[in-house]
Amino acid sequence: MKLLTPELLDAFFATLSQRWELRLPILLPDGTRIIGSLIDGRLALHGGAVSGKPTAAFFPQQSTLLSVTDGTVEETPSPPPLFIVGFTPSDLASLRFIDRFFADGWRDDLYFTLRENAAIAALSGYCGLGGALIPLAGGDCDLEFFWDRSSWLVIAYSETGKKLIEDLPDAARTEVVELLRQTTPSLPDENETVIRAASLLLRADRVPDSFWAEIGDRCIACTGCNLACPTCTCFGVQDWRSANKTERSRMWDSCQLDGFMREAGGHNPLGSEAERTRRRIHHKLAADPQKWGEISCFLCGRCDAVCPTGIGILAVAGEIVARFA
Amino acid sequence: MKRTLTVCPYCGVGCTFYLVSDGGRLVGVEPSTTSPVNRGGLCVKGWNAYAFVHHPDRLTTPLMRRDGVLQPASWNEALNLVVERLQAVQETHGKDAVMFASSAKATNEENFLLMKLARAVFGTNNIDHCARLCHSSTVTGLAETFGSGAMTNSISCFDQTDVILVIGSNTTEQHPLIGSRILNAVRNGTRLIVADNRRIRLARHAALHLRHKNGSDVALLNGMMHVIIAEGLADREFIANRTENYDALAGSVTDWTPERTAAATGLSADKIIAAARMYAGAGRAMIVYSMGITQHSHGVDNVRCIASLAMLTGNVGRLGTGVNPLRGQNNVQGGCDMGALPDLYSGYQKVSDPLMRDKFARAWGVSSLPSEPGLPLTRAMDTASEGRLHGMFIMGENPMLSDPDQGHVRKVLENLELLVVQDIFLTETAAVADIVLPAACFAEKEGTFTSTERRVQRLHKAVEPPGQARADWKIICDIAERAGYEGMRYSSPAEILDEAASLTPIYGGIIYKRLDAPGLQWPCPDQEHPGTPIMHLDRFSRGLGHFTPVSHRLPAELPDEQYPFVLTTGRTYFHWHTGSMTRRTHLLAREEPCSFIELHPDDAAMIGIRNRDMLLVSSRRGEIRTEARMTEMVIPGVLFMPFHFAEGAANALTNNVLDPESSIPEFKVCAVRLEKIP
Ligand code: SF4
Ligand code: SF4
Ligand code: SF4
Repeated sequence: MKLLTPELLDAFFATLSQRWELRLPILLPDGTRIIGSLIDGRLALHGGAVSGKPTAAFFPQQSTLLSVTDGTVEETPSPPPLFIVGFTPSDLASLRFIDRFFADGWRDDLYFTLRENAAIAALSGYCGLGGALIPLAGGDCDLEFFWDRSSWLVIAYSETGKKLIEDLPDAARTEVVELLRQTTPSLPDENETVIRAASLLLRADRVPDSFWAEIGDRCIACTGCNLACPTCTCFGVQDWRSANKTERSRMWDSCQLDGFMREAGGHNPLGSEAERTRRRIHHKLAADPQKWGEISCFLCGRCDAVCPTGIGILAVAGEIVARFA
Repeated sequence: MKRTLTVCPYCGVGCTFYLVSDGGRLVGVEPSTTSPVNRGGLCVKGWNAYAFVHHPDRLTTPLMRRDGVLQPASWNEALNLVVERLQAVQETHGKDAVMFASSAKATNEENFLLMKLARAVFGTNNIDHCARLCHSSTVTGLAETFGSGAMTNSISCFDQTDVILVIGSNTTEQHPLIGSRILNAVRNGTRLIVADNRRIRLARHAALHLRHKNGSDVALLNGMMHVIIAEGLADREFIANRTENYDALAGSVTDWTPERTAAATGLSADKIIAAARMYAGAGRAMIVYSMGITQHSHGVDNVRCIASLAMLTGNVGRLGTGVNPLRGQNNVQGGCDMGALPDLYSGYQKVSDPLMRDKFARAWGVSSLPSEPGLPLTRAMDTASEGRLHGMFIMGENPMLSDPDQGHVRKVLENLELLVVQDIFLTETAAVADIVLPAACFAEKEGTFTSTERRVQRLHKAVEPPGQARADWKIICDIAERAGYEGMRYSSPAEILDEAASLTPIYGGIIYKRLDAPGLQWPCPDQEHPGTPIMHLDRFSRGLGHFTPVSHRLPAELPDEQYPFVLTTGRTYFHWHTGSMTRRTHLLAREEPCSFIELHPDDAAMIGIRNRDMLLVSSRRGEIRTEARMTEMVIPGVLFMPFHFAEGAANALTNNVLDPESSIPEFKVCAVRLEKIP
């Protein structure tokens, strides 16, 4: 375990930036906190989960799949290696989940080209919102930055990670991390209890259609819940054609849209807001556990934060439990 | 990867977000989490606002018509020709033979400059923009009653009110991030009255849904006021201290008994009474309205009634109250504020006032400015066909699809001596122009937009414009320069806003330095002023609030045997106006790919139509083909159609009959007939 004092942060990242393209939690001019580049805002490691899904680094809102000019496919330059800081343990779980998803069946080259060329650092310790404790990640990343209220204790979990911090001094006081390592698994998480209970109720078919009609009535189809979710992976594809060029790209799609499942003949198996809202929640809490063996919501809170009408997954799961348990 | 904070280019709510770019290309959007307006959310259009920017159809070079075909030209050629031909038209036919159409999509600075160009450089007050088509009734009606035509309260007020009356606004679809506030308010106990005969989403959450006849708003509002007065629910103190002409109003509504109102509106008397009691009984009540109120041949009267209803119950000038016209376009408020109007300079200062003319003339270094109010946009087409208008300069508007009676518009535009269009795509209007100037879009320039709650916010340049396209403000300055005018040299939009602020009292304290997020709400008269979230606090802008009695007039064209259906037009959630941006956005175009018409299943059964059948819809103006969409959103006898689609264009059918005071067209009522296409 290494030690990184706040005074040395800038120098540490400056050194890294010689080899890596850095993506760090930053505070943008109006106070929005995201993972981005230091030219756009100042470093803001504290504050918990950033807004915007961190998995966007590998699966951006829009990306070019193919570009053909005068019949020749353009070479895509290989992306620079990325060093991304700011994943919470929940974000890492999401990443682990979509790693499996994108590798299943056909392997998504575009995703893995970026993913495999990146080093990932988690944030944990007392750096949550207002100094709240973020539990230890304990793996699933190259590095973990643990804030012990005065310094960052840095733990490496991969060879890449080890190399990145080999020049840092060893940390002297690491008891706090050890203590948390032992207690973290047993820390109760209320939200998790709610999500698990809702998942069971859904799988037991205890939630009636009338409930979904009521929730669906409040969905304004903004798509934010999907676009903010680190485990949402659906995309649409478009072609742009001009005289001598065709460009194919993909962009984030949303199962809250009518056109998502609508067939060419007009039939739509998800033809109402009620069915679509049900599907969004059901997919994560009932279908994914069957297919992937785990609930695919890791409680990052982003859909609840982004939904303009208050029907993010946690709010809906809470209502399910309150009414049907 | 770069993030640039900017303002949504679609509706007037004024959400802010970051454009995400990579290597000079936009790749996404991230909502601002600190914006008091959108609070971390966006609607589907905002989330996709990056997606049309690099579309291959963007205009990248000036075009000039040669041998009947639009062909690439240099900026030099194109700009010289614009000036030469505008001047030629004016020499032959007089100064007022040209008209300038400004744009509610363009920035405040650009609207200010185009009106300066029209007035100071080309010597005409013929300048207007699409506010004529949406809220000109509000500008006229509220100016008369309150002294200011803007939304009186702020978006945050929706969180702090007891009753919301939504009349003629499909808020969740057209102002989604205000609609969502209303939904949340209802969950927190606010009671909602929806007066709209379409079963819009908000209606599902309403305590009362009034499905009154199209065009019977005056009757409904007069009827509600009758009940309020008769039952002693009026706010006597407010009326006595803050208003004038109450007796005339009270006299005018005595006849509007619930029974008479019921007959005129098609509602039950009980519902009218219940609505009146609910609205008047609230400690704080807000009225929200939009095109369903304004786009009538009696649009101004509708607005007057709304103002009266609010004053009658003392619901003005306090938190969680007010008259809240929701402005449609991202910058339609700003377009009006900046004086892109035929009778007003920026800040609603009258061109007919010699002192104002003198002030602007001196500031602009010209000897005089024209004194006669110019042409409203909606009268331009008729004036041209009468041979009194010969040239048009259109910046960022597409009247071919957006204006009523398309056949007439097309004939007029094609017959003009000169049509110049400045836009980002080759719109249906640009396609018939003589000269086309390629403009930068919102993501490619600096400037400010003013949202529906009078909030002035900055947009920032995220990427370069394509090819040779230039920001509108730069193009306007180039034209002025070539016309021999030296008073339009600016190094940045900030300087333009400084000039506007110095001439416009309500913007007096609004300068770039003060416009960091979340911007400033006008009136903001000086640089110490914090801005105004709620207007008319202790006094109305005009002093006392003025009650104007109104009598009920029927729409100009009612259904008859030949044309038995009422057609009402509007927009869908997924598209913006004439679709030049949203129809080039994959997800939005996928949601609503083609023209359609909503009709009630009973009507469909009567004429043997099934869902998705193709229909021939005709009115006295024209006919179009479109797809049938059966839905109980509409009541029997009434059809609804969005105007986004060039193929199956709703405005081929609509009636260019105008409100006599505001010149707004009656988009909301015309008579049509339906036939199934075999
Ligand atoms: S909380 Fe919402 S956004 Fe986060 S993982 Fe769960 S479903 Fe996705
Ligand atoms: S964020 Fe909320 S309103 Fe938007 S699509 Fe999702 S559930 Fe619907
Ligand atoms: S509500 Fe209006 S301003 Fe906000 S994202 Fe949607 S279109 Fe843009």
